[in-house]
Amino acid sequence: MILSVIAILFSCEKKDEFLDKKPLGDYSEIDVWSDPALIGTFVNSIYRNALGFPFAIERLSSYADESYFTHGWGVHDFNKSLMTSDDLLGWSVDWATPQTLHFFWNPFYDNVRRMNIFFSKINSVEADQSVLDRLKGEVYFMRAWTYFYLTNLYGGVPIITKAYSLTDNFMVPRNSYEDCINYIVGQIDSSAMYLPDTYPTDGHVSKGAALALKARILLYAASDLHNSAKNSIVLGGFSKPELLGYTSGDASLRWTAAKNAAKALIDLGKYSLYKGTPAINDSVAQNFVELFTSKGTVEDILLQFFTPKTDEGWNGYDPGLFEQPNGYHGWSSNTPLGDLVDDYEMKNGSKFDWNNSVHKANPYVNRDARFYATILYEGVKWRERPTDALAIDPYSKIQVGAVYNNSGVVIKPGLDTRIGPIENWNGGYTGYFLRKYIDPVVDFQFVKQDVPFKHMRYAEVLLNYAEACIELGLDAEARKYINMIRTRAGQPDLSVSLSGDALRQACRHERRIEFAYEDQRFWDIRRWMIGDLAYHQTSRVDIRYVTSETNVKQYRKADGSTYGNPIFSKVELDGDARVWNNKCYFFPIMRSEMNKNNLLVQNPGY
Amino acid sequence: MKFFYKPSLIKWRITKLLRIMRITTLLLLIGLMQTYATNSYSQNTKLSLKMENASIETILSKIEKISEFHFFFRSNEINSNDRHTIDASEQTIDEVLNSLLKDSKLTYKIFDKYIAIVSKENANGNIESLIQQKAIFGKVTDQAGVPLPGVSVVVKGTTTGVITDNSGNFTLTNIPENAILQFSFVGMKAQEVSVGNKTTINLVMAEETIGLEEVVAIGYGTQRKVTLTGSVASSKGNEIQKSPGTNLTNNLAGRIPGLTAVTRSGEPGADGATLRIRGSNTLGDNSPLIVVDGTPNRGMERINPSDIENVTVLKDASAAIYGAQAANGVILITTKRGSLGKPKVTLNMSQGLNQPTRIPKMADAAQYATMLNEILYYKNKAGGRNQKYSADDIQKYSDGSDPWGHPNTDWFGEVFKPWSSQNQQNASISGGSENMKYFISLGAKFEDGYYKNSATNYKQYDFRTNIDGKINKYINVAFDVAGRQEMRSYPNRPTGDPIFRTLMHSKPTMHAYWPNGTPGPDIEEGDNPAITTTDATGYDRDKLYVIQSNLRTNIIIPWINGLTISTNASYDKTFRFHKKFVRPWYLYTWDGNADHITTKNKKGFDGPELSEDMADGQNITLNVYATYEKTFETKHNIKAMVGTERRSGTNDVFSAFRKNYISAAVDQLFAGATDQYMSNDGSASHNAYLSYFGRLNYDLSKKYMAEFVWRYDGSYKFPTAKQFGFFPGISVGWRISDENFWKNNISYINDFKIRGSWGQTGNDRIEEYQYLATYGYVDNSTYVYGTEDNKLLIETKSPNINVTWEVANQANIGFDAFLFNNKISVSADYFNNIRSQILIRKNASIPASSGLTLPPENIGKVQNGGFEASIGYHGEAGEFKYDISVNGSYSKNKIIFWDETPGIPDYQRSTGRPMGSALYYEAIGIFKDQAQIDATPHWPATQPGDIIFKDVNPDGVINGLDRVMNEKSNMPRFIGGFNINLKYRQFDLAMLIQGAAGAQLYITAESGEVGNYYKDFADNRWTPENTDASYPRSYNRSDEYWRSQGNTFWLRSTDYIRLKNFELGYTLPLNVNKILGIENLRIYVNGLNLVTIDKSKVLDPEVSDGSGWSYPLQRVVNCGLTLTF
Repeated sequence: MILSVIAILFSCEKKDEFLDKKPLGDYSEIDVWSDPALIGTFVNSIYRNALGFPFAIERLSSYADESYFTHGWGVHDFNKSLMTSDDLLGWSVDWATPQTLHFFWNPFYDNVRRMNIFFSKINSVEADQSVLDRLKGEVYFMRAWTYFYLTNLYGGVPIITKAYSLTDNFMVPRNSYEDCINYIVGQIDSSAMYLPDTYPTDGHVSKGAALALKARILLYAASDLHNSAKNSIVLGGFSKPELLGYTSGDASLRWTAAKNAAKALIDLGKYSLYKGTPAINDSVAQNFVELFTSKGTVEDILLQFFTPKTDEGWNGYDPGLFEQPNGYHGWSSNTPLGDLVDDYEMKNGSKFDWNNSVHKANPYVNRDARFYATILYEGVKWRERPTDALAIDPYSKIQVGAVYNNSGVVIKPGLDTRIGPIENWNGGYTGYFLRKYIDPVVDFQFVKQDVPFKHMRYAEVLLNYAEACIELGLDAEARKYINMIRTRAGQPDLSVSLSGDALRQACRHERRIEFAYEDQRFWDIRRWMIGDLAYHQTSRVDIRYVTSETNVKQYRKADGSTYGNPIFSKVELDGDARVWNNKCYFFPIMRSEMNKNNLLVQNPGY
Repeated sequence: MKFFYKPSLIKWRITKLLRIMRITTLLLLIGLMQTYATNSYSQNTKLSLKMENASIETILSKIEKISEFHFFFRSNEINSNDRHTIDASEQTIDEVLNSLLKDSKLTYKIFDKYIAIVSKENANGNIESLIQQKAIFGKVTDQAGVPLPGVSVVVKGTTTGVITDNSGNFTLTNIPENAILQFSFVGMKAQEVSVGNKTTINLVMAEETIGLEEVVAIGYGTQRKVTLTGSVASSKGNEIQKSPGTNLTNNLAGRIPGLTAVTRSGEPGADGATLRIRGSNTLGDNSPLIVVDGTPNRGMERINPSDIENVTVLKDASAAIYGAQAANGVILITTKRGSLGKPKVTLNMSQGLNQPTRIPKMADAAQYATMLNEILYYKNKAGGRNQKYSADDIQKYSDGSDPWGHPNTDWFGEVFKPWSSQNQQNASISGGSENMKYFISLGAKFEDGYYKNSATNYKQYDFRTNIDGKINKYINVAFDVAGRQEMRSYPNRPTGDPIFRTLMHSKPTMHAYWPNGTPGPDIEEGDNPAITTTDATGYDRDKLYVIQSNLRTNIIIPWINGLTISTNASYDKTFRFHKKFVRPWYLYTWDGNADHITTKNKKGFDGPELSEDMADGQNITLNVYATYEKTFETKHNIKAMVGTERRSGTNDVFSAFRKNYISAAVDQLFAGATDQYMSNDGSASHNAYLSYFGRLNYDLSKKYMAEFVWRYDGSYKFPTAKQFGFFPGISVGWRISDENFWKNNISYINDFKIRGSWGQTGNDRIEEYQYLATYGYVDNSTYVYGTEDNKLLIETKSPNINVTWEVANQANIGFDAFLFNNKISVSADYFNNIRSQILIRKNASIPASSGLTLPPENIGKVQNGGFEASIGYHGEAGEFKYDISVNGSYSKNKIIFWDETPGIPDYQRSTGRPMGSALYYEAIGIFKDQAQIDATPHWPATQPGDIIFKDVNPDGVINGLDRVMNEKSNMPRFIGGFNINLKYRQFDLAMLIQGAAGAQLYITAESGEVGNYYKDFADNRWTPENTDASYPRSYNRSDEYWRSQGNTFWLRSTDYIRLKNFELGYTLPLNVNKILGIENLRIYVNGLNLVTIDKSKVLDPEVSDGSGWSYPLQRVVNCGLTLTF
């Protein structure tokens, strides 16, 4: 025994060999950069960090004038323009908000590093050139995407193209906004060069995606927020205006570039609107439902896919659970504001008006078809209720009102309210729920849906083109493209007399309606500099049934009819008096980052 | 045991029990019996006896009948023809015998109940001298009266000696006159007894709790406390056993100075205390090294306390023998071993009840409804005070008149039982012969959770066999095997979130169960804790099998006097099988109608799901070391040790998952669907360490002492060229009390030693392979192309090729003193530790735009200093014996250097402040009204009833610059214990009062529409009517700035003092034992965490989670018995 121990200790292995272990859970740098399959998984992480968590529990819509975030978490303070360089309030509470957290300096620069590592290594990888080219094209695209959203948040940011090593000097100044846009456009042009024309619509980027992104980049760059002739109220005497916009050059050239970029994609001829000309028997609303629950259509340019197994933590991906009403055991997280709902036109193209007694008495009839595909509202038939709720509501119709007696006391609250019998603290406040992107077939209580998010679709390119045309005075051309969108939606064409600013407003309105909940509005508000118009006291709908009956057992009578006609009214949403401060057109660089890099210049107002 | 007897003394004749008996046996018996007599029977017994003309034999026989006396005599010395008359009334035996034998040639000698009748000539007139020259007999017991086997009894100045047998008896013959006997036994105070004219010596040995001769484990050897120069503290197994906790770590608090044990949770199977030796020393891992029976990194939590001989803590440079593992201190645990004698069986059984020490008191339904109304009112004042609940609703919540629609649910009452059961059983058998000794124990434990129909419980079965064999004069071997099975059962939902989170959320206005008995609704996702704490939702079970073995040899090298070589090979194996089977459960919804029909709804899962995982781990430790011990010129004592150790370990994990089970009836993998959801997973890790170590001790006449320890440690965690590090420690001691000037002047201080030490140790609890650039997959995140979830690969480490150990520089100075005949012991230490080369990332000063996650670099530095003191007093007053001891420790650390963002104001810097400091706004009150708000810098949109933040910088604006570093954390700085042990006759009582100070807890609740408020808050909140309130207004979750922004308002001191432990025991008297045929029986009641006095009052002061999201600590009341035979 003793001899064997001594023998083992002293003889059988040299000490250095005994201690030389290799990790069993990681790949070495050499493993990765010699294997295109591993490089592919590295690029996956670049996709993930660039494109974020659009179906997270808080949606960008709740930071814009589209929805109200039921759970609070500081979002309401964000919407009061209270953010500072110490605290972005509901924007970056990392435990709750993966989507907004991803729209933030640190993770974007983490991604920049990944892409810089990629480019520092990829040219020495030996593999099939077509595979390498495709990977390069994808990473160029993501570098453009990442820097684009950095500039949308902060204006000009430091352009970092090298993968730092520990001994480098990390102090870098911000590049001008113009430099950034030029750099980003260069990246997207490189991307387009490497990417295949088409790609199976499975979530990879293609040349089409590169062209569409380029159109978006140039449109944003041409917008008022970055135009020194228009953005002075934002800059407020800021000493470094070049960080936030163009300080020279001709705006119309920028609009032209934006227009041409959009046109390049259109001219590619590979994309078209899904059911762009509805057939006579089509339900237009149903066409939209199909568009937003399908796995890909002729219209889709960049999709982000999910599966029932996709695990992004409790808050990263489960739109069915997050958005559906409490009466279905959902969480009602981002409920449409009354303001958004009211912006849906009547079917005949006229505006909806609470002061119109016909509209007020029956607000949900004869509206733009997109309303029905986007919003769940009082009385609309939705998927079958879960068993316990079905016993209470056998009709499975949304209940956001309450039955009152003659003395104004609630005798039967709706199932989908904050005073209903089921998980009422998860009830919505606004009287509406989200319909868009929700797959009614999937029982979200047990299974996650797998509808992809549409980062870019052809409709956007058309409206981008139209917007650029308007800014260049090409009103007829603009109307033509806007009308393509309206035709598909079953709405009448714009009046040919509509021009100039009225046409601009119509175009902006079309964007708001067409792209509700598609993460466009938040950025549009900023680049159009309409913060003061978008952030104000919000509204909701109040719905009452008044009856003299005393034995009201359910919200609806046994025959499915209601206790009289509902009384609708538009009321203020308590606690959501939003406020705009012009400093919020740009985000602050966090105080800690400012302290770490003394070459940085803070944005105005912080 | 050996008998020594003189052949000439045979042929004594006795009556009754023993006819013919050897004198030695007789006297042995006498000695034995005398130990049982606490009072001399012969002196107290009064005899009444009347006989006429009877022979001496007849009379003696009669006396035996009416008393307990037994007579011994040689029949040839007694003249049976002599006739005697005796008339005694209430006389002592002396009086009777003096009268009886006054005219005869006989005399007598009383050995309590045994009386020898001998002739006066034979006895030379003095029988005592006859016996004395031949033999001395006796019995050695401990203070509880339990016989002590294995005590060495040596005639001083000779090599003559014996060891007590299994019953504690000894016999020594041929001892010279005026001999002095030395009694010694490990763990007991050595004693010397002058024989004088005694024939029997019955000795009670006291435990060496404060003794100098105590031997303590110090790693690869032991050392007598008298010559110890390091800061080492220990506690005995039998002390630790006094606590009824089922987790060993919870029984250590307050017992060992310098050791902090804070229990964060009472959850069965997950209730280990956070252990810190001398506080926190590093920004990294602060956990100490645990060494069990010489093998490092064995867990201590689940060791059966009754297997433990002692626990020793190495606090300073003395730990350097463990080198790179030792920076956070070392806890050495030694288990019991067998001793010489017949098999001794000990049974210990106890049955206890546990309950939470504290359940947070929550607002009632009426209060809660009122507060929700207030929230809506603060949002929309025009809407009034009854926007959600009418006054009528609140009245109904309050008076209980509408149990269906307006309940007032006490959720903790609905979910928790008043008491839950726990029990422990142990059986051990120990004994042995000269060549083979054994200690074998078996244990079982059960502990139930607090919940009604609890899915939570912990079961353990364990065994230990420690066998010592003596192969020959030179070679000893020891073979130990310990094994246990730990079985943990939990509900499928995790304990903290959601179970306790929803318990805290659960609204008093909601039903746990509807009045018709069906389960009530959930907060969301099926989380009604009354249901999710049961196994209705499935189960989560974990079985852990642990086998630990040691094979040790100890070889005395015959040709070099004083040299021994020891080896130890230990092989530890763990195997874990974890199975989580979840299934749908059903909750009920009521539509609010008067027919009270509730409808059920499936929750959680559409169908059953099963995940299983298995982990297989092993650790091998091999060491060999040589010890050389020699004394030169009778005063230079040298002990040297040198050795080497090799450790290696592997761990493999494998798991599998299936869902969409058609039925829940079979909970096995095969029964699940083979669909896209089924999956498997696996991983592995390994490690290797190689060390060389040594220790050199020198003392001059036990007066001047010095020690040098070192370890040269190699680890797989570092690049080849940097695998090894050298860690030395030196210490010196001076027993001033041995100096003449002291002896002559301060004799009441028997012993006084000052000690000093300095050493460098390492902390190897650091991330492995930091020198490699590695890429790894991201957990729980994918990117999907089409219908496939694809893995994400990221750069997991930027390499730091210069990575090395954290180094602890530990300096210690202290003294040990014994006063007034060792009645009082005092020990105190002052220490100053500087931890350098702490691995920290420089991210605080590097812009995030670099995108770099910097590797940890060895640049951090933390200083930690403090002191410990303990005072013990041992006293006796007749049969009342008492031990009292007090110990206390204080430590405070500060960050000397780490990476900090440049340019921050001084009051926000953590450098120079304790670790764990955090930035908070300073809450300085509550806004009473709008006027006050207008006059004070405030947060935007502040309302009356909000908390006032101090404008620290002061610029008239409250922003991030007004946050101030707060220096306290949730680890206490001061800890102390007050131990009392009392013994009176058969009763013994032990108490441990333990306290801690200097910690803080951020106590909040996630209240509002999401859930309930603490009652303390509800009772004292600001309202428009109560503007002088101590708490702010009703709030909804984190909507208010004073809820989302960390501020000092919610920080509460968790200083506490608690009756941690209480035990009252009763030991059966020995004469009863004799009747029962047992050796010892003790029955006891004890308790854990019985009374707590603290300031926070809301949650238990030891918990680390201030939101109530953790399983509360246990109060245990327990009774049991210990039986030895």
